Amino acid sequence: MADQRGRAALLVVGATAVALWCAAAAAAGGQAPSGAAPAYTPPRTSDGQPDIQGIYNPIGTFYNIQDLEFQSLYQDFTPNPAGRGRSLIVDPPDGKIPYQPWAAEKVKPIYAQHADPTPQYLDPNARCFPQGVPRHLNNREFEIFQPRGHVVVLNMAHHTYRVIPLDGSPHVPDDIKLWMGDSRGRWDGNALVVDVGNLNDQTWFDVMASFHSDAMRVTERFTPVSADTIEYRAVITDPKVYTRPWTLALRFQRNTEYGAELYEEACFEANERALENMLRRPGR
Amino acid sequence: MTGRLLLTLCAVAFAVAPRAATAQTAALPRLADGKPDLSGIWQAATTANWNIQAHPAEKDVPAGLGIVEGDEIPYHPWAAAQKRQNQANRAAADPETKCHLPGVPRIMYMPYPFQIFQTPNHIAMLFEYVHAVRRVFMDSPHPDGEIEWWMGDSRGRWDGDTLVVDVVHFTDRTWFDRAGNFHSEALHVVERYAPIGAHHIQYEATIEDPKVFARPWTISFPLYRRMEKGIRVLEYECYAFGLEHTWYRPPE
Repeated sequence: MADQRGRAALLVVGATAVALWCAAAAAAGGQAPSGAAPAYTPPRTSDGQPDIQGIYNPIGTFYNIQDLEFQSLYQDFTPNPAGRGRSLIVDPPDGKIPYQPWAAEKVKPIYAQHADPTPQYLDPNARCFPQGVPRHLNNREFEIFQPRGHVVVLNMAHHTYRVIPLDGSPHVPDDIKLWMGDSRGRWDGNALVVDVGNLNDQTWFDVMASFHSDAMRVTERFTPVSADTIEYRAVITDPKVYTRPWTLALRFQRNTEYGAELYEEACFEANERALENMLRRPGR
Repeated sequence: MTGRLLLTLCAVAFAVAPRAATAQTAALPRLADGKPDLSGIWQAATTANWNIQAHPAEKDVPAGLGIVEGDEIPYHPWAAAQKRQNQANRAAADPETKCHLPGVPRIMYMPYPFQIFQTPNHIAMLFEYVHAVRRVFMDSPHPDGEIEWWMGDSRGRWDGDTLVVDVVHFTDRTWFDRAGNFHSEALHVVERYAPIGAHHIQYEATIEDPKVFARPWTISFPLYRRMEKGIRVLEYECYAFGLEHTWYRPPE
């Protein structure tokens, strides 16, 4: 039974086609970045931006941002007590999403059946919907490149992308809600600071139903701390769902396995029938 | 309906087309390496997504002169029959109705904008339609192997001021339009992007597929720079619409 549930979990997450990193790397990602001023100064692009271009992987957990034990459960179906309680959330100090009471209630049934969800509780990522912000950075390999006046982030999974203009222009009107949001960036020394608005309410932060409303704003900080490492912090604000802003921290490690190119991954085209078979299987 | 509305908007919003082939190449914006700078937000204004050949108006379909040179597609006889069958079944059979990635060249004339970013090593085309992405790596070989990608594999080079893109490694699951024009996985597309001023690119593509066509054939149309103040590529997540009451996404 446990094995079956485990397989179902694998199917669900496998639908998002997630790569597995080793448990040690996952544990390391749970530690908060030091916060000390980075000594590393990146080279400059031709238009004077700090150059952070390349293909990166997040180091951390995509399964449950509040509790890394679920990562080891997902990877080898055995509990790892050492991972218990570690979280990507560095603020508040308890590492938990500060849900308002109604929101905490809403999450419970989804949380309870995350390993074998009924269709209405299936992770939107498993449906191949765009991952949203910040989840698209906490999933698989992505590429950063910096054409003049912009930072562009391309994800291999779901071929989603974000264009981050650096021109100080205003966000698009509030009525426009976007899966990947509307990003505006600026360089603060060597750190890229991005304000993300216009997000819809259809994305989660992980497999475990962590959710937000369309009032969410995300303020991101990408700080290169070495030639191959970026520290990332996202401050999440959403007065409809949380009691206070909260902060998620990740590290991105340069990935040289893919050479210079990401490949096409047509998630929806490949996934539709697989999901149907799983969700409509006999006994459901 | 929305398509027609878009088209009307396009007619208003786009730059006025050049009156003649008075190519003012000196006025082309250029990158530091001297190559034409194709950066910006572009869109075609043809009716080709309905039918790449000449067609009369139908309800919710504007008439169009088509984009095929000579208006003739040289199908093998079996393929001409297949095309007619596709057209008859298009409501269910057109991959666009399934929200699949539309392939090349179809993505280039769908009624949605796309943004070009350009560096000396590669050119990225990021499309509003289903977040489709094309990467055009410059002066590099196609990867080996039996690869079938929805958007193919694109490799570019400059021929003077014209960007030439060679595209292979397709699936046989995309069409050219809603009229059932189709190809096999042996499709080979050679695109030419010739800037004809700061705000227009003449796009031309040679279509080769010996399994389906008796000889290569060519399409061409202009790409127009979107000129609206504050223009952005937004999102059209086709497959996320209208799913609330299907098995795929039932209400909570």
